[in-house]
Amino acid sequence: MFETGVRQFRLALGMAQGRRLDARNVARLIDDVLDTLAEFGEPGGDVAELIDGPMADPQARAELATASLRRTARRLAAQSPFYARRFTAADAAPDKLEITGLRTIPVTVKAELTDRPGDFRCADVPACLATRTTGTTGRPAEVWLSRYELDLWPALGALASVLRDELRPGDVLQVNLSSRATAALHLASTGCRLAGAGFRPLGIVPPDEALDSLAEGGTTLLQTCSSYLAELVTAARRRGMSAGDFRLRRLVVGGEVLSPSVAQAGIRTFGVAHIDDPYSMTEIAPVTGRACRQGHQHYDLGLGYTELIDLHTGQPAAPGSLGTLVVTPYFPYRDCMPVFRYDTRDVARCLPDAPLRCELAAIPATSQILGKADHLLLLPGGEVITPRQLIEAIEALPAEPWPARYRATVCGGGIRLTLPASAIAGYGEAETVRHFAAAGLDVDLDIVGDDQAASLRRTRSDLHETTFASQHALVGA
Amino acid sequence: MPVPIQPIPMWEQSLTELGVIIFGMIVVCGGALTYFRRVRVERPPVGTFNGRDVVILLVIIGVLPFVYGWLPIPLVTCLLALAFGSALYIGYRPLLGRAGAWLGIGLLLGFNIWSSNHIMGTLPGWQVWFTEQGILVVLVAIAVCNLYLQGGMKLRHVAWLSLGLAGYDVFFAGYYPLTGRLIANYITHPLTPLLGMRFGYVDFAIGLGDLFVYSLFFVASYKAYGVRAAAVAAGVLALAGGFATAFIPFLFNFTNANLDVLVPAQSLFGPAAFVAYLWMKRHYGRERTMAEYLASQDRVAAAPQLEQAPTPEPASI
Repeated sequence: MFETGVRQFRLALGMAQGRRLDARNVARLIDDVLDTLAEFGEPGGDVAELIDGPMADPQARAELATASLRRTARRLAAQSPFYARRFTAADAAPDKLEITGLRTIPVTVKAELTDRPGDFRCADVPACLATRTTGTTGRPAEVWLSRYELDLWPALGALASVLRDELRPGDVLQVNLSSRATAALHLASTGCRLAGAGFRPLGIVPPDEALDSLAEGGTTLLQTCSSYLAELVTAARRRGMSAGDFRLRRLVVGGEVLSPSVAQAGIRTFGVAHIDDPYSMTEIAPVTGRACRQGHQHYDLGLGYTELIDLHTGQPAAPGSLGTLVVTPYFPYRDCMPVFRYDTRDVARCLPDAPLRCELAAIPATSQILGKADHLLLLPGGEVITPRQLIEAIEALPAEPWPARYRATVCGGGIRLTLPASAIAGYGEAETVRHFAAAGLDVDLDIVGDDQAASLRRTRSDLHETTFASQHALVGA
Repeated sequence: MPVPIQPIPMWEQSLTELGVIIFGMIVVCGGALTYFRRVRVERPPVGTFNGRDVVILLVIIGVLPFVYGWLPIPLVTCLLALAFGSALYIGYRPLLGRAGAWLGIGLLLGFNIWSSNHIMGTLPGWQVWFTEQGILVVLVAIAVCNLYLQGGMKLRHVAWLSLGLAGYDVFFAGYYPLTGRLIANYITHPLTPLLGMRFGYVDFAIGLGDLFVYSLFFVASYKAYGVRAAAVAAGVLALAGGFATAFIPFLFNFTNANLDVLVPAQSLFGPAAFVAYLWMKRHYGRERTMAEYLASQDRVAAAPQLEQAPTPEPASI
């Protein structure tokens, strides 16, 4: 108890002063949490404040953000060649940065990261592990992480997870993400080790293999992407598997739009209470977002600064309007290859200017992520159609064409929507058009053969990994 | 003309001391158990008592007397007021609320400090002072006992703490008589950590630390293994903490330079408590966690409702 108090004080002091944190101290705090749970069955009072910080006061939030942004900018100006140039060009003094003046510093875009990755590397930290984005939306970006980041991120993540009862000793976490997602896999494996849980990285293997592992391997937690979840649900139904065949207590998806149709099917098939749909992105790690029960996306306040920028003006998005998420991870949480005002191009809607009533009301939020900015459809009347609208409508079709494969373009003032034939099987084009109209989408259908489905829209589940048990052919044998 | 001191026989002193000790034990152990069963102390989000905390406690207990002996008395009073006030606030805020707790603490400490400076010198004055002092000590012992036990302290920790304190008592009462000197120097000053009474010209008292350890052992036994273990603990308390402590002077007649009898109570109780713990562990098995204890209380509370539940109708086929 006395030691725990000292550890918490050390962690809080490090966070307040912006010094590099001791990951071993955080790891020992995880042990303390596990001991606490073993003795009491639950954490003590004020646990939310311990995880999320005392952030209900907007003034305190602003002060923390200003101090953290200045600290981050100071380090970048000294250590990052890219940002040293950028701050100089913008005539921005790191010590005098204000939240309101941030817009004088241009956002960083993905092309800059992929074109000149070396310029983003801080000179004072040796790189340890490279991780790449999946590249489903273009050329993959490579992000290097330091040993410090590799130690700290999973420790902080595991600490929050055990406090929220998302991860328990004895849990087995199965991860069906691309095996090239090295950072995500490292975070999950180390987090499990720290929490005393088992870790089973499978990759994007054939769904039947993943289902066998889920059913027979004692898996209690599943982490995957929405499109692969859709494939798992489809395969489970084909095999006649249902909730009784699994021991899952938590299911987490991310990286793609999760439609209510797939979410409900996943809940029924795997027998979980709900599906967690957090927001994360390789380039802005370790900043993440959490979805509340009212469907808002709430962003980490302690680890980074999140802005919602109007797509056209670059000004803060007005209530009700669409914007792109621009994120600045703070030092000392981002160390090796930091970004400052990184434009994720992930679009969300600014919530109405009224107090939130959800369980995470103290943490600022936007709407759910609605898709990538480059995939928005702008209709002549000014109406904007988001990828989420299209995916939700397609995945709600009676044929359950999961994951949604489509191509949408603006043509003749309306939406030309290309779908594979199986998506409307047994439904007919006229009914399908009415289905989309009911969802507020006036579409002109273009039906193509199923053999073209995969080329219509790439999903993360397309990054198939073969196994000796499942591969169809050996090339060059 | 000074009144000559008429010492009462040692056996009479021992019996009176036994009465004071047993009274203190009953009030503190009973109060601590009642509190433990009915009131939940707020605990921090993370942290539970462990073996290293026992070591830290022993180090603090070992160092503190030197600090108290070195500091000027007004400063010692301030430190004691801080310690007593904190313990009372944490312990009684769940019962009295924030304002009520502070009001009570202010009255208790305020009256204690006032009485220590104004009503001593007569026998009734001493007795009023001891009574008020005793109330304060009982309340603090109950609060701190629950703070530790509800913070996750197990019977195992209590047993080791008792054993450590036994060594402490032997050393500081026998080889390096710091405890006696501290009491002799500090008694009559505010917030003296003693529960006692003056009968005639003799003070009979038991230390706050002793009462604290007794209540820890008693309530921890109850929490770990239930009522039967608490009964065993009560027996150990009565024998090793009560009779042995009270009658050792009668048997060995050892006294210190101030003619006051100082008995290192923990040196007798510590080994007995440790052996009792080992016996309970062997006899009853693993200790209950706090969660298991609370769950057992919930089951007890729910039991009458279960008995009243109607017998289900046979299912139709």
